Amino acid sequence: MSLTPAELTSAVSGGIGSSPQRPDGNLKVRGEFAYASDLWHEDMIWGATLRSPHPYARIVSIDLTEALQVPGVYAVLTHQDVPGQNRYGLEHKDQPVLAEEVVRYQGEPVALVGADHPETAQRAMKRIKVEYEVLTPVVDMETAADDTPLHPGGNLVRHVPVRRGDQHAEAEVVVTGRYEVGMQDQAFLGPESGLAVPDEEGGVDLYIATQWLHVDQAQVAAALGLPLEQVRLTLSGVGGAFGGREDLSMQVHACLLALHTGKPTKMVYNREESFYGHVHRHPAVLYYEHGADHTGRLVYVKARIYLDGGAYASSTGAVVANAATLGVGPYDVDNVTVDCWGVYTNNPPCGAMRGFGAVQAGFAYESQMDKLAEALGMDPVDLRIVNAMSEGSVMPTGQVIDSAAPVAQLLKLVKDKPMPPLSTVVDLRDMPGGVSNTTHGEGVVRGVGYAVGIKNICFSEGYDDYSTARVRLQVINGEPAALAHTAAAEVGQGLVTIMQQIVRTELGVERVTILPMDTSIGNGGSTSASRQTYVTGGAVKAACAAVREKLAKLAASRDLSAVDIAGTDLTGVDLAELLGDEVIDETVEWRHRATEPIDPETGQGNAHVQYGFAAHRAVVDVDVELGLVKVVELDCAQDVGKALNPQAVLGQIQGGSAQGLGLAVMEEIQTAGGKVRNPSFTDYLIPTVLDMPPMSIDVLELADPHAPYGVRGVGEPPTISSTPAIVAAIRAATGLALTRVPVRPEHITGT
Amino acid sequence: MIPFDYRLAPDVDGAVAAATGWGGVAFLAGGTNLVDHMKLGVAAPEVLVDISRLPLDAVEELPDGGLRIGATVRNSDLAAHPAVRRDYPVLARALLSGASGQVRNLATTGGNLLQRTRCAYFQDLSTPCNKREPGTGCSAIGGYTRQHAILGASAHCVATHPSDMAVAMAALDAQVTVLGTSGRRVIPLVELHRLPGDEPHRDTVLSPSDLITAVELPPLPEGTRSLYRKVRDRASYAFALVSVAAVLRVEDGVVRDVRIALGGVAHKPWRARRAEDVLRGSPVDGSPADEEVFRRAAEAELAGAAPLAGNGFKVPLARNTVVSALRGLSREER
Amino acid sequence: MRVNVTVNGEPRQADDVWEGESLLFLLRERLGLPGSKNACEQGECGSCTVYLDNTPVCSCLVAAGQVQDREVRTVEGLADGDRLDPVQEAFVEAGAVQCGFCTPGLVVAAHDLLDRVPQPSDPEIREALAGNLCRCTGYEKILDAVRLAATRKAAPRGSGAQESGSR
Repeated sequence: MSLTPAELTSAVSGGIGSSPQRPDGNLKVRGEFAYASDLWHEDMIWGATLRSPHPYARIVSIDLTEALQVPGVYAVLTHQDVPGQNRYGLEHKDQPVLAEEVVRYQGEPVALVGADHPETAQRAMKRIKVEYEVLTPVVDMETAADDTPLHPGGNLVRHVPVRRGDQHAEAEVVVTGRYEVGMQDQAFLGPESGLAVPDEEGGVDLYIATQWLHVDQAQVAAALGLPLEQVRLTLSGVGGAFGGREDLSMQVHACLLALHTGKPTKMVYNREESFYGHVHRHPAVLYYEHGADHTGRLVYVKARIYLDGGAYASSTGAVVANAATLGVGPYDVDNVTVDCWGVYTNNPPCGAMRGFGAVQAGFAYESQMDKLAEALGMDPVDLRIVNAMSEGSVMPTGQVIDSAAPVAQLLKLVKDKPMPPLSTVVDLRDMPGGVSNTTHGEGVVRGVGYAVGIKNICFSEGYDDYSTARVRLQVINGEPAALAHTAAAEVGQGLVTIMQQIVRTELGVERVTILPMDTSIGNGGSTSASRQTYVTGGAVKAACAAVREKLAKLAASRDLSAVDIAGTDLTGVDLAELLGDEVIDETVEWRHRATEPIDPETGQGNAHVQYGFAAHRAVVDVDVELGLVKVVELDCAQDVGKALNPQAVLGQIQGGSAQGLGLAVMEEIQTAGGKVRNPSFTDYLIPTVLDMPPMSIDVLELADPHAPYGVRGVGEPPTISSTPAIVAAIRAATGLALTRVPVRPEHITGT
Repeated sequence: MIPFDYRLAPDVDGAVAAATGWGGVAFLAGGTNLVDHMKLGVAAPEVLVDISRLPLDAVEELPDGGLRIGATVRNSDLAAHPAVRRDYPVLARALLSGASGQVRNLATTGGNLLQRTRCAYFQDLSTPCNKREPGTGCSAIGGYTRQHAILGASAHCVATHPSDMAVAMAALDAQVTVLGTSGRRVIPLVELHRLPGDEPHRDTVLSPSDLITAVELPPLPEGTRSLYRKVRDRASYAFALVSVAAVLRVEDGVVRDVRIALGGVAHKPWRARRAEDVLRGSPVDGSPADEEVFRRAAEAELAGAAPLAGNGFKVPLARNTVVSALRGLSREER
Repeated sequence: MRVNVTVNGEPRQADDVWEGESLLFLLRERLGLPGSKNACEQGECGSCTVYLDNTPVCSCLVAAGQVQDREVRTVEGLADGDRLDPVQEAFVEAGAVQCGFCTPGLVVAAHDLLDRVPQPSDPEIREALAGNLCRCTGYEKILDAVRLAATRKAAPRGSGAQESGSR
């Protein structure tokens, strides 16, 4: 198997708005798609990582002697072997490649082994002697800021206040609540893996499953002390990401071992190590107070939000800003007081996961809206519609929403859907508890719940967010053929399909090849924040426009200037004839419109590029006696601006909703004293096909005039509203307050 | 994983012989638990005796109406066996509610009985565990105990037995045939597994070279009903928080025979004798009045429960599950 | 030790197999068949599902030595040359493939289901696939794919069977 991923070529019709097959689909169903963990190189060795068993400890000594004596071991490395800067991080360089004096979380990398077989590496790791002085871990996010400082500068990573309107507003009806969100894991199926191949000049090629090649490249080069051009990254097959691959895992480690031994080095995490090897969704504690008048109009919202960033900052700062700026939800509120704190603790590091701060806030503000509706004696959907924001609304940051914000319409769509029939106990698989014959219908109560959410799309707060795309057009075997190249990571979402569709639409060709993604081209930005179709799609579109300009010049030079190539579609143009032997090859950097930093005192500023909205209705059956929940139906309405690939849009909504269901009723990384207690798929449960109900989905296409083709990011919004809708439905069925997710059987049966 | 010696057992006696005289020996059948534990380093046998090809894979209907199940009969085959489906629905249900299809296709009857606990500390080599390393202490006590025992635990271990199948078999008064160095013997299933006491590393009364060859189910009298109910965190493929296997025969409105076993609550499948005593001879007619009897029975059993800091919910949950199971049986139309 | 095993119809031999290796490791690292995936290696996700003597199993839980003289069929052995199996074809068409890491295991599990139950009901499909975790799709399009494959297999090729509707 070649290390370089296959070029993906399809020669079919299928521009934007249609759903052509994925160009990598056949490879994937045949088992021939090369994921990072499938890579193999002649003479390669295997790397393994020794990790700290303690959440917080001082390293007294490390003795490698016995490990180095194990036959088959090529290298055993510690922080002393890191030639460059032993610090990395997405926002703050606070995380060591390999621990120095202190370990700050259970699972922190301490040493590396390179050996001829994974088992040899494991055996050698057991012979590394690390003496620790165990320290008392900081684990409470609400008090962490005043606890033992874990980093220079203390434990506060970021505080974002948002102040809008009257800070002392009073209201007729007031509801307050405290909510908790457990630590969710991305649980992508393809474990972290990569293969580093040293070159003859002291550089390295890294084949890796990641979300962002260039930010990896910069961090790896700095740690290795190498110039960027000596660290070349190529994207291998990625088995899902959902935020969990935005930070480095073994990127530097594999390169260190490869450069140290001169041998290609492969590292593959197993599932347990994967749980230790990537950041998770921030657990949160949220205090809310909502004030409304007797008609239900929100007068004010106050919130104090704590996010547990764990041992290292990762993207905590940006997650804090999201939770703060999106903290009142998709509602018009004139008076807002929000404070959000992200802190260091000795819990597992937390960072990006689908929904990114908006998920935690969404559970709390939607729970509050239901509580407020109850206090007012109003229908919960009506209350939301009364307060729904719309185009022209002003965010708590002062930013004016300048494209569609169909919040009321989305709510009406899910509310008006026909209700699923009551179960008639024909099939136990449809009942709470499923096939285990748990429920026969006695004690089963149905509940219905609604929720709506808001998510920023693309990077925010003045970040220079762009993507680079190259498009080449030439004649191959008498037919026009295009090729597109970016560094934007395909992680499963279907960016490769979208790129082909855009090229077909813009250039009027059928045959489009997608080159492997690598760092030989400029930055494509992160596959996160629901941004790749928007930004890399925009870059590919712009590169196609540049190609068309060249075509126009070519036409002019050939006296075909009557053809307005730059302005019209190309269906009537014989591209093969026009191009002849010419090769047009254009590379473009494309940016969305700029955002601004927010004011550190007031949170005011045009922080976000675009907002996405989704609404859910959940229908649940709850066995109140046994604490079992069956989500009977989970319906969704979402505005996607323009569905470039309708099938992929549905796939994102279904998958995102499923992850929201997981957070609602089962998913949580359990920690005790900073230690993870369930690092396996037996103990960390994600929904199976028996847990996920059918979905009825309405997709709105209200074009955003500022975005390419009018697209609006799709991936994250459904993850936000799914969770609170399901919990609202369980509340409706049981009458319980349920202020924490995930909701478990004991929360329903009581103790 | 520690290097080990792999031996394919030539026949049943040869398997026992091959396993005799070694400190660290294990029989390998389906591998679903053992191979996993060897990868984790939780199990490190010196010798692995592969018994998967021994002729112990038959299900035989016995002349008295009972059933003999070979030790290497796959869980999926046993669940699908017509006699099991017809006569022992509690067992079929229990089997089908365990693991997944791909795992049931590997897992065997004997191996399922000998599954080791899913206690997170048992699986985590970096923490003390009396079951994994005798004398090191129990990390679960005072730790994360949501999954742990509420009945029969000791100061040395609070782990639970993970099997569903064994719970059903406990309620069916199954008998386990074991071949050891001194010959063949039969052990009632309810006596196969131990409570932890001060030797939690011993899950069962077997010695390392004892080979389970079969499980026999006695016949159930005409009119006996049975079912299995399991409460877990997800609709499939998850261990029980609490499960109940119940066997009930009501004649003329009076409970003539009742056998109840609980899973997920103790170091072994927990036979609920106290609940059975309350129920036996009680009037039951499928009416709402039965609820009070069922509840009293469950509470009698759970009066001895000693929940830990993180699993107090299991007591009312176990009560509710027992009541629900009995209600289901008493109302079932057949 | 040496292991002789028939894989996808071909007799194969692997030398120097370490006794503790799994069938999954044998396939992926020694026999050049990385299609079966290593998502959990603990029998918890179904990504490594292969046929062992015509029964789908988690290959990560089978010790390599146990497959001596037995038959294994992996996802790589389902297509007929360039022609995809109807299950594979349906997975691509229905949009059941996103990251694809769960796909090989799901394709084998669905293939087995349709061999046993040619026209499964929705609950039967769900029950049969309950041992395969997918994190991308929310399973809806996987169900569509299995329904589509069942329809295709029932109708002879070229009879114009249409894709079953997506809810």
